[in-house]
Amino acid sequence: MSDPKAPAADYAGKPLPEVQIMTNRLLSAETTEKVLNALDVIPNIRQINMTGESIPRMINSGPAKGMANNHTEHQTITVGGREVELKYLVGAFYIELDVEDEEILDVRLEQIKAACNEHIEHGYNLQVGRYSKYKPTLHDYRSA
Amino acid sequence: MAYKRQFYPGSSVPAKNRRRYMDPKVKLKKLRDVAMDDVVRIMGHRNPGEDYKSIHPPIEEGKEPECPIRKLVVPIEGAKHGDRVRYIQFTDSVYFAPISPYQRAWMYLSRYRGVDTGTLSGRQIIEVRERDLEVMAKEMIDNETFDPALTGIRGATVHGHACRLDENGLMFDGWQRYVWDDEKKEVVYVKDQVAIPLDRRISVGKPDTMANLRKKTTIFRADGVDMRDDKEVTMYGLRIHKLRTLGGYQPWKVKGE
Repeated sequence: MSDPKAPAADYAGKPLPEVQIMTNRLLSAETTEKVLNALDVIPNIRQINMTGESIPRMINSGPAKGMANNHTEHQTITVGGREVELKYLVGAFYIELDVEDEEILDVRLEQIKAACNEHIEHGYNLQVGRYSKYKPTLHDYRSA
Repeated sequence: MAYKRQFYPGSSVPAKNRRRYMDPKVKLKKLRDVAMDDVVRIMGHRNPGEDYKSIHPPIEEGKEPECPIRKLVVPIEGAKHGDRVRYIQFTDSVYFAPISPYQRAWMYLSRYRGVDTGTLSGRQIIEVRERDLEVMAKEMIDNETFDPALTGIRGATVHGHACRLDENGLMFDGWQRYVWDDEKKEVVYVKDQVAIPLDRRISVGKPDTMANLRKKTTIFRADGVDMRDDKEVTMYGLRIHKLRTLGGYQPWKVKGE
């Protein structure tokens, strides 16, 4: 999801830890909303990115091209009082943590695990690393 | 020379299932009964009760050229009537679907006449004269090669066979042609195979359990039956690989095969 309020690419210049949560099943809109709201209250989370399988708003090819898709999981959910349009059946979360040291990181990880254990019924795989860009690279200076 | 037809090597469960599905003498188990009119609705080529459209004159009316092969081959019903060629396409999940596209091709060609089939990574199309297609489609939806959750009837945009399943255990479909009925615990089609909404909901029954699907599948998987654990299957694959490679590049080295 691109958001004009998203942090600039050169915000830190150093890789903050990112938590990757890969779910064993693709989550419904309802479960996604629950997970996000459970994560929303945890301090030190800088941003959460999600990905999964795309759900188009319209049928984009074939004889039904142009008709509304009416997918039951293409919904607008409310996270922390803000509306988010779900364009995916979510299967992964990338949570960036703005933490000072490993001690706090471990505490936050436990909180994230507790939130996931409560809402993700079919299990997930959690890893800590860096999965997205945190500083501009050559590609960002291309003119066209 | 008396020749006994062979189908597939190996003694593992997927290998045995491959043999079963391919062998036309084996009658496949019928697990559900979806009404013929509903099969016609899901395919979406004509409305139930509507006449078959034809683009050729019936064979008896046409002037067939003098040809010994034409005299030998008995035409299928649709060909006799000059029906259009129509299709049905199935998508099979990698998560232990009862059958996978490649074995579908083997099965179709082994069991049916007058068909044209095409294999892709996750889907298998079958093209045949319309009235024969409907009979075949009903058989394939009713029998054990179809699982409501892990087999999809998708004419276009088939993406989903290699995706994770959703929370109800259904294979992902961006166009959501079928939905989960939580009260009846059944899978219900709400759109036809190209995602045009149906005017009624068509139930295709309850999905099988994962334990049963593992016994029914033709899919070798590292977390199921590994193909390398079936020595005969491995040797058969290696032999074909060796002969194809040698045949292509150094055919003089193929000796005694």
